[in-house]
Amino acid sequence: MSAIPSSGWLYGAIQRGRNRGLGGLYLVVAAFLVLYAVLFPGILSVSGFSKFTQNWFPLALVTMAQALLMLNGGITLAIGPLVSLGAVIAATTMGGALGVPGGILAVALAGLAIGAVIGAIVAHLRLPAIIVTLAGSFIITGVALILLPRPGGFIPDWLSTTLAGHTPVAFLLLVAILLAWKAFLATPLGIGIYAAGDNPIGAFRSGVPVERVKIVAFALSGLLAALAGLFVAAQTGSGDPVIGTPFTLNSIAAAVLGGVGFLGGKGTMRGAICGSLLLSVMINVMFFLGFPPVAQYVAQGLIIVGAVAVPELLKQWRARR
Amino acid sequence: MKAVKAVFRNPPLLTFLLVALVWLVASLTLRGFGAYGHLRYLLELAAVIGIVAAGQTLVILMGGIDLSVGAVITVTAILLPLISPAADPTGLVGIVLALALATGIGLLNGAGAAYLRVPPIIMTLAMATFLQGLLVIVAGGSAVTVSNPAVILLGQARPLGIPAGILLWIVVSVVVLLIIHRMPLGARFLALGANPLAARLSGVSVARNTLLLYALSGFFAGLAGILVLGMNRQGYVGIGDPYLLMSIAAVVLGGTSILGGRGTYAGTIPGAILLVTTTALITVVNASPGWRSIMFGSLILALLLISGREARR
Repeated sequence: MSAIPSSGWLYGAIQRGRNRGLGGLYLVVAAFLVLYAVLFPGILSVSGFSKFTQNWFPLALVTMAQALLMLNGGITLAIGPLVSLGAVIAATTMGGALGVPGGILAVALAGLAIGAVIGAIVAHLRLPAIIVTLAGSFIITGVALILLPRPGGFIPDWLSTTLAGHTPVAFLLLVAILLAWKAFLATPLGIGIYAAGDNPIGAFRSGVPVERVKIVAFALSGLLAALAGLFVAAQTGSGDPVIGTPFTLNSIAAAVLGGVGFLGGKGTMRGAICGSLLLSVMINVMFFLGFPPVAQYVAQGLIIVGAVAVPELLKQWRARR
Repeated sequence: MKAVKAVFRNPPLLTFLLVALVWLVASLTLRGFGAYGHLRYLLELAAVIGIVAAGQTLVILMGGIDLSVGAVITVTAILLPLISPAADPTGLVGIVLALALATGIGLLNGAGAAYLRVPPIIMTLAMATFLQGLLVIVAGGSAVTVSNPAVILLGQARPLGIPAGILLWIVVSVVVLLIIHRMPLGARFLALGANPLAARLSGVSVARNTLLLYALSGFFAGLAGILVLGMNRQGYVGIGDPYLLMSIAAVVLGGTSILGGRGTYAGTIPGAILLVTTTALITVVNASPGWRSIMFGSLILALLLISGREARR
């Protein structure tokens, strides 16, 4: 019986450990959210909150897709094309015989399958992930262009209003996905993603099927990116074969803002989600303050470097004292 | 049998053989592919990739990566016509200024990576984003026509029938190969890539070499930008974008490990030629943009299987 309080204590310690180093990030995110609410009180209404979370939702999904792989010691440059492909498949299949459920299923299966194939190539043929996903991004873009050469397709109106209307459905979906991620982390396969990223040889010797874990990570990443594409299609009401392009870099930037490292095992999913929220808020604030899109690029570049450099400099400064 | 195995263990040679094979088959099957003019044109295109990839090879050998080369090419191609003083009849001042600018951008990348400890992939990515924004502010999105005589000469001149760009590439290749294989500097780069900690403990200055490497990468990207400008006669936003992925692909196809510490520029040279040839062959097959993209991606994957595998660790 005494095992329960002690395991509760252990749980608390682990959670504290995962939050370590993220305090500054939480503060910055909170400060930006307050600034946003002061500048645009509209966010505090249900409809304003819904719109805000709808802008954040696809970025949060692709950031999860990217962070999943970075935690496993990989990286993917195929996020943007996968988002485009998800949007294109949704827009081309939903008018078909199987309707919306068939479309959602097709998007999910395509994401899983493409991710698994890329993962199998990386894991079993021992090719570097960065270059495989680079080549893969050309192939996926090509498939999207063949399926739908120019923007168009069909998304039922009711789906667009459900997902991207004046109700916080997107936010609830995100909460559900995060809960699913927590449940997945409690399985051996889920924790294996961290373990294999932190120390592949150690994980292998401890019985983690490193190669299978990598394939699963890539498959889940593909699924999340394709679903983000489905949402973008619902948001815009049509499919577009190049709509996902900015998501590749933004997913990396958000994950890095959230403290996820490139070498695997370092960082947390909650950090990555906070990073995506920060990036999303920053883009929104700059947009509403009337920054020209060009100045947004300049500011984004500076902010990303600052976000990584400042904690590092603080660490050095502390070490010197 | 032994000879075959030796070839497979030597990625640069393997990539060279691959190029030779592709050229031979294509020349025999496609009319006009094997013509001297066409092959020369392919090499001229490969020269740009080869020069960008020279800097990229050095950076990757040290375990870094430079994602800002595309933006640096665009910056030099757009700013060179604007900063060339009209009073200078040779146009060399403009070239020197543009190269100094490109080197300076590289130096900033190096400073971020060395002193701020920003991971190179983030530092150079942020730099690319930053430059992209700055360029549109400066150039306003319109194309700039070059009138600098030295740049036009570089893009159009053909001493002894060989385009000046190819000659420039040969010079760059010799210099880079000498740096990597015949100078203490190259040994330091490779040591840093193979094991940064051991290299530092052996007295190799991480900060100084990082600065130098990214400055070199910026310089080579700037050189490629000038060459592109000379060949196109026009600079516009986005002119350098394709060269980022091409430069990384050329390095990896040449058998250099993306993790650093192992590889040579001798592999990148055929890697660049192979990429250009692939693109040319895909253009010959009259396909839609979608199929062309699929073919390009699949070919890179297939080529990787032959030459780009990481050793089992």
